[in-house]
Amino acid sequence: MSPALNEKPHAEAPPAMGPAGMIVDGRYLPPPEDKDGKLWVRTSTLIQAAPQDLYAMWRNVETAPNWQEQITKVVMTGERTSHWVMDSDGKTIEWDSEVLADEPGRRIAWRSIGGDSNNAGEVIFEEAPGGRGTTVTVLQEFRMGKLASAWETFVGRNPKQAVIENLRHFKALAETGEIPRIQRQPHGDRGLIGKMKSSSYGEKIPTPSGSN
Amino acid sequence: MKAVCWMGKSNVETLTVKDPELLNPHDAIIKITRTAICGSDLHLYDGFIPTMESGDILGHEFMGIVEEVGKEVTNLRRGDRVVVPFTIACGNCLFCRKKLWSACDNSNPNAHLMEAAYGYSGSGLFGYSHMMGGYAGGQAQYARVPFANVGPLKIESNLPDEKVLFLSDIFPTGYMAAENAQIQPGDTVAVWGCGPVGQFAIASAFMLGAARVIAIDRLPERLALARGLGAITVDYSEEDVSVLTALKDLTGGVGPDGCIDAVGLEAHSAQLQGTYDKIKVALLMETDRSSVLRQAIQAIRKGGTLSIPGVYGGLLDKVPFGAAFGKGITMKMGQTNMHNYMKPLLERIENGQIDPSYIISHRITLDQAPEMYKVWRDKKENVTKIVIDPWAETAA
Ligand SMILES: NC(=O)c1ccc[n+]([C@@H]2O[C@H](COP(=O)([O-])OP(=O)(O)OC[C@H]3O[C@@H](n4cnc5c(N)ncnc54)[C@H](O)[C@@H]3O)[C@@H](O)[C@H]2O)c1
Ligand SMILES: [Zn+2]
Ligand SMILES: [Zn+2]
Repeated sequence: MSPALNEKPHAEAPPAMGPAGMIVDGRYLPPPEDKDGKLWVRTSTLIQAAPQDLYAMWRNVETAPNWQEQITKVVMTGERTSHWVMDSDGKTIEWDSEVLADEPGRRIAWRSIGGDSNNAGEVIFEEAPGGRGTTVTVLQEFRMGKLASAWETFVGRNPKQAVIENLRHFKALAETGEIPRIQRQPHGDRGLIGKMKSSSYGEKIPTPSGSN
Repeated sequence: MKAVCWMGKSNVETLTVKDPELLNPHDAIIKITRTAICGSDLHLYDGFIPTMESGDILGHEFMGIVEEVGKEVTNLRRGDRVVVPFTIACGNCLFCRKKLWSACDNSNPNAHLMEAAYGYSGSGLFGYSHMMGGYAGGQAQYARVPFANVGPLKIESNLPDEKVLFLSDIFPTGYMAAENAQIQPGDTVAVWGCGPVGQFAIASAFMLGAARVIAIDRLPERLALARGLGAITVDYSEEDVSVLTALKDLTGGVGPDGCIDAVGLEAHSAQLQGTYDKIKVALLMETDRSSVLRQAIQAIRKGGTLSIPGVYGGLLDKVPFGAAFGKGITMKMGQTNMHNYMKPLLERIENGQIDPSYIISHRITLDQAPEMYKVWRDKKENVTKIVIDPWAETAA
């Protein structure tokens, strides 16, 4: 420690390494750059819940349709493998996924193993500084395959944004037991232009059920 | 049901739409008994707030009777009488726990729209654009209220609706504006705008210990109400009146300790500045008209606190930031953290310390709302506050 400053009443030791390559040797690093057809998204959120509980909620992949957009069904096919079904505007996309690393209460990593999607990712749960809850960081990589382009064409959601929205839904569900929604509420005639804008206003992609 | 819908800039219609239904476990459906039109609704009417869509149901100041509750709502029952806060808050996120309810993380289904514009998203609001959540509003016969376990305030006394309705927004907003001005006993506070928010800011400034309040507007009926509360009034539209000189004169050359901008982005200006802002807004070079903000920064004393309840939405031009820095002022602002104020202010009403219904000038039906939006915007007919009875067939 530097002798220049000895008074840090609430400081916590800075981590040398951060989740998903965010901190390396005490320095912040940006997420990996998109290249060679591979896209990356890294996003994080602060959740008022214990890391163990959030880990358990994420690891229980069969409940993913409750909080992941357009995932209609997930079934475990083995200890570490699962089959995913996604319904995007009437089109069905399916793939298999396997868990690569499983550190209870701390980290899960996965990758797809065949099917319509080519993706890999990890999620890290760690206590936030200052006892403010759990920081959840997701790093996901994917190729613009059938899945990603289906998102873009059918529902107008950039696939990177979908990862961000899913983490937002996860947080809302963990903190409140529901996901905020406005679909099916009353309104007057939208007119032609209004209907065209429905995707940017969140009225086209069904908000996941949020029920457990 | 009947509902007041935004159908485009300067175009509001009362339409028949389907009734709201429970969508989430913490929802409640409220049968609305009274609702109001707010100065904030004018920013929608006049097209200043982006992401409005035709068909959106307006209104964020409402109260009523609980009709139905979701399976996780344990503190309300069918038949309870409630006032609903205009900011929607989950009660469990970091911001709700810090009592920054209008910054709630979990109530805006369109958070990404606001994130893109502001960096982070605030809470969802009723009837106030898709960026702010896209929730159907309360100028209607029924409304769906999310997180009903957290927001609605039960009214157990038999006070009439009109006395408690303004706990839904403008009374807490005026109160938080005064609190944000960091008033010390003996302070002089200047309030721009004597609309409903300005009125309650004036009243609250006195409650919080102001020795003197100076109220600025141009509408005689509003200035008269301000004098009725005990303020000294300045009519900025009068010939030869300079607001800056008036505030210097009335504070012995010191300037007001606290300034409250209860006007916001549609400030009217008699002078050249007004024309300048109108042209710039029309050319999309600025989005908000900021003449009151400029004036308040100029007028405030050294080290004073500027509180801004008036709404701003986008980019401002020619804000004298050097003056703000040079005098070392503090600025506080934002959507009201409603949930902090509703209960304590209800107690003040119950104790007879204030009767908020004094500002009401018009009582109307839903069918009259479209024409009254125009009256409200043009400040005709001595309008000071419009209250709607959503079940009345004919005007009171
Ligand atoms: N922060 C919040 O949470 C919150 C909540 C409610 C309302 N508001 C905002 O507060 C503001 C006032 O609301 P309201 O309902 O009282 O609206 P209002 O339109 O009835 O009142 C505005 C008043 O400002 C006066 N005014 C205009 N230009 C002026 C100027 N240059 N100098 C002095 N006065 C001037 C008008 O004559 C009018 O009386 C609006 O911007 C509204 O959106 C904010
Ligand atoms: Zn309002
Ligand atoms: Zn919250």
